[in-house]
Amino acid sequence: MEKTLNSKTKTALSAICIAAFLLIVFALDNTISAGSSWKMLITVIEKGSIFALVAASMNLLNGFTGLFSLGQAGFMLIGAYTYAIFTIPAASHDKVYQYFDGGLIQWSIVEILEDKLGVFGHYLGMFIPMIGAGLIVALIAFLIGIPVLRLKSDYLAIATLGFAEILRAFFQWNTLGPITNGSNVLRKYTTYGNAVFPVIIAGISIAIILLLINSTYGRAFRAIRDDEIAAEAMGVNLFKHKEMSFVISSFFAGVSGALLAMFQTTINATPFNTVMTYEILLIVVIGGIGSITGSIIGAFLFTAASEWWLRGLDAGRWLGISSSLMRPGFRKVVFAVLIMMIVLFYAQGIMGSKEFSWDRFFAWIKSRPEALKTLPARRKAKSAAKKEARASKAAAKAKAKAAKDEGEAKKASGEKLFTPLPVSDEIMIFGKEGK
Amino acid sequence: MTMAKDNDKREVVLRLSDITMQFGGVVAVDNLNLDVHKNEIVGLIGPNGAGKTTAFNCITGVYEPTNGAVEINGKVVIENYPQGKMKDAYKGRNQGKYTKALTMLPDKVTKLGVARTFQNIRLFKGMTVLENVLVAMHMNQGESVFGATFRSKKAREEEKAMREEALELLKKVDLYENRDDMSTSLPYGKQRHLEIARALATHPSILLLDEPAAGMNPQESDDLMRFIGRIRDEFDLSILMIEHHMQVIMGICEHIYVLNYGGQIADGTAEEIQANPAVIEAYLGGDE
Amino acid sequence: MGFIHTWLPYILAGIAVGGQYALIAIGYTMVYGILRLINFAHGDVFMWSGLIMVYLITILPLWASVILVILFAIVLGTTIEKVAYRPLRSAPRMSIMISAIGVSYLLQNFALYITGGLTKTYPTIAWLQKTVQIGSATTKMVTVITPILTIVLVFLLVMLIKHTKIGMAMRAVSRDFETSSLMGIDINRVITVTFVIGCGLAAIGSVLYFSNYTGIQPMSGAMPGLKAFVAAVFGGIGSVPGAVVGAFIIGVCENIIKGTGWTTFSDAFTFVLLIVILMVKPTGLFGEKNIDKV
Repeated sequence: MEKTLNSKTKTALSAICIAAFLLIVFALDNTISAGSSWKMLITVIEKGSIFALVAASMNLLNGFTGLFSLGQAGFMLIGAYTYAIFTIPAASHDKVYQYFDGGLIQWSIVEILEDKLGVFGHYLGMFIPMIGAGLIVALIAFLIGIPVLRLKSDYLAIATLGFAEILRAFFQWNTLGPITNGSNVLRKYTTYGNAVFPVIIAGISIAIILLLINSTYGRAFRAIRDDEIAAEAMGVNLFKHKEMSFVISSFFAGVSGALLAMFQTTINATPFNTVMTYEILLIVVIGGIGSITGSIIGAFLFTAASEWWLRGLDAGRWLGISSSLMRPGFRKVVFAVLIMMIVLFYAQGIMGSKEFSWDRFFAWIKSRPEALKTLPARRKAKSAAKKEARASKAAAKAKAKAAKDEGEAKKASGEKLFTPLPVSDEIMIFGKEGK
Repeated sequence: MTMAKDNDKREVVLRLSDITMQFGGVVAVDNLNLDVHKNEIVGLIGPNGAGKTTAFNCITGVYEPTNGAVEINGKVVIENYPQGKMKDAYKGRNQGKYTKALTMLPDKVTKLGVARTFQNIRLFKGMTVLENVLVAMHMNQGESVFGATFRSKKAREEEKAMREEALELLKKVDLYENRDDMSTSLPYGKQRHLEIARALATHPSILLLDEPAAGMNPQESDDLMRFIGRIRDEFDLSILMIEHHMQVIMGICEHIYVLNYGGQIADGTAEEIQANPAVIEAYLGGDE
Repeated sequence: MGFIHTWLPYILAGIAVGGQYALIAIGYTMVYGILRLINFAHGDVFMWSGLIMVYLITILPLWASVILVILFAIVLGTTIEKVAYRPLRSAPRMSIMISAIGVSYLLQNFALYITGGLTKTYPTIAWLQKTVQIGSATTKMVTVITPILTIVLVFLLVMLIKHTKIGMAMRAVSRDFETSSLMGIDINRVITVTFVIGCGLAAIGSVLYFSNYTGIQPMSGAMPGLKAFVAAVFGGIGSVPGAVVGAFIIGVCENIIKGTGWTTFSDAFTFVLLIVILMVKPTGLFGEKNIDKV
């Protein structure tokens, strides 16, 4: 009944939107002055696109391959360091590596290529270590994956979290100081000039992730997520495909790490801890596990809320309300509470497992007038449904209570409530059972 | 025990020799010997807990049998003998007869041409009917992940061929109209059909069906019976099936094996099984 | 003799830290045994117990503070279970794990807000800091008390699980959640008791643990929490004695590593151990093999 647009129109529409967005970002970054409060918008766009990329890469693992991995911050860390180490200008080495005699690597890829190729060399010099960061992370993930990916869900989560912590300790190790600068910050490396840069890189990367998900390999990943045993029975080599997803996801985490290094202008291993991984995971959850569109929206909302909209909560005044409760840190508390509400009451996130499509978008627009008209009726229906749910809950409660009373009565009359189960092993207190 | 073995001139495509599966102290399958010939439909029956599904899992590489060997198309692909702790704990027979330890992961078994369905339907829940079938064709495509992601010419051609074949297959199992529905939204009977279609998409020569008629009424199981016969001919298959519906088993299987408490108590044609006192005692007697 | 002389202090310290990890690990292992959930928030309950102690000790005598800290941890833990885990009990396992991570995030951020991001000085408990002479090593009272107290508490817990009705119910629920509920076991009560025990022990552990350190900050619970979880996995998750043995082994190894000068990697060691154990014996030291049904 709905006429769908043909694919050429859709592609054209998408292209126009993307080009317009890039132009706007480019223009905004050039026009907004440093002191303006709208500068925050630029920050949100930059950081948002970086986190959109890492969230999409985590979603590829958690949402599309069903691997509950919590190593993303560790992989970003390697990416950030790899990029920074190879782009610190030769002249700045003595200052940056002041405790390590100017460090081991005395050159910068950017400078070398800029000398030979000019402006093009400059960007190529940024691009190569960025891809290199991804490749190194991918290699490390490949090695980590060999033991770790054979583990079941919860163990995988803990093992990847553990590896991320090991990596963090490793990068702060003094012996590696000539390369990683030990526990000191890396700075002075080449960064990008305009907010368009991270948007483009993140955009291309996410597009590649989407292409992968919609390929035959992506289908195999989703099959593993839905049912490992059935996937294996259909000839999908579990280990090979899990490793593939893990390595590709890590590659993009590495690239996003490099982008984050550029965004922050200084980098240190300490903040790449479990909290950072948790934040990435929560972005994925807010957007919807299994939706890349959701991860993008989630990332921008998350950064906008935490960096910009809720800032007033830390400063004592927000939306015209002022309170002594609002001191530094309050923003994060409110934020965490909001996230818990989403986790508990809106578990499917913003997009569920759906992706954006022009057809759905136009159908949604068209349905608005109708939806507005029927709003009161739907409200009524909803409240009625709620009432009913409440009533049935109360009934269930009463039933449970009756059952409990019965149990009590039985207990009083000396009847056994349950037969003790045999626990054969003296030492084992809880036995494990399959599902 | 296996009296009918020598009468059949057709080649053996699947042979289980002395397959024993012991979990801790429990012998789930006890010395099972079973042959499936080319284009034959073989039934595996027995009361609940007799070890039928465990036998399937031993064939498909989900479990490693404790002792015995599995031969597919004349080649031993799985073999094991009691090792380690099991050496002393082993309760089955023929210890010492097998000396090799050959294992094979389920996906490799599938690649050898053995496909299966599951007792409690295991469809890919987050996917459409068509996608479910396409997953099963994934192993036969040759493009690398890189080429597939960037839509190389080969990848596009393969994808197109896969789609065409999948749709053709769905037509054959009467699921063409449902191709874009979510797999879980299908009615129960159609989900069973989809599981079979998905198994067929792996291009098997041997099909293992685990209770395909479970939960069906007599009319539906009648249809299923005809359906199984039809796909056997159309896809040139040999079929081994577990089933509780005697009507289906007796109506379609050329040869039937009966398990009870893991052990093999009889085998033969439908008539022979129906007349066998041990079977009546253990199984039919209690059931009908 | 020279060997013992050199290493005894590290081994003693290791045993003490191991006892503290053990008290946290019990909470992880029991919750996992019953709910099959890695309670990511457990380390933060532990941290909060330490933080509350800092505030209570300023207005109350020591004994009252300790009791209140234990009560606080119990209330916090059971509330978390009720609010964040119970509604998701029938949801996919990933959701409840995410909820646990969300709670952890909330508790850390709330601590950050309360402390203003500053490291709080943990009160000195004079009695625990008394010096004791053991063989050739001089050590603090807390080092001696911790293992003894841990073993006594674990013994009591094992007795409770083995010989009381609620303990029997716990064993039953950990074997088979659904059947137990059909048998008339009050699942909610069993879970609440599990959280009460786990959080109570974590609170006791926090008093012992933090008295070794001068300060406490919002991230103080994360590392000991993760290590205690590794200890639980090492011992065979679901097994209480396993968690305790695992915790002692981790504590001792970690301190020996510190003794050799590889302090940077003392934390990393725990995770290397985790990965090795999961490779070699995924069920842990005392775990049972479990077979997936197909």
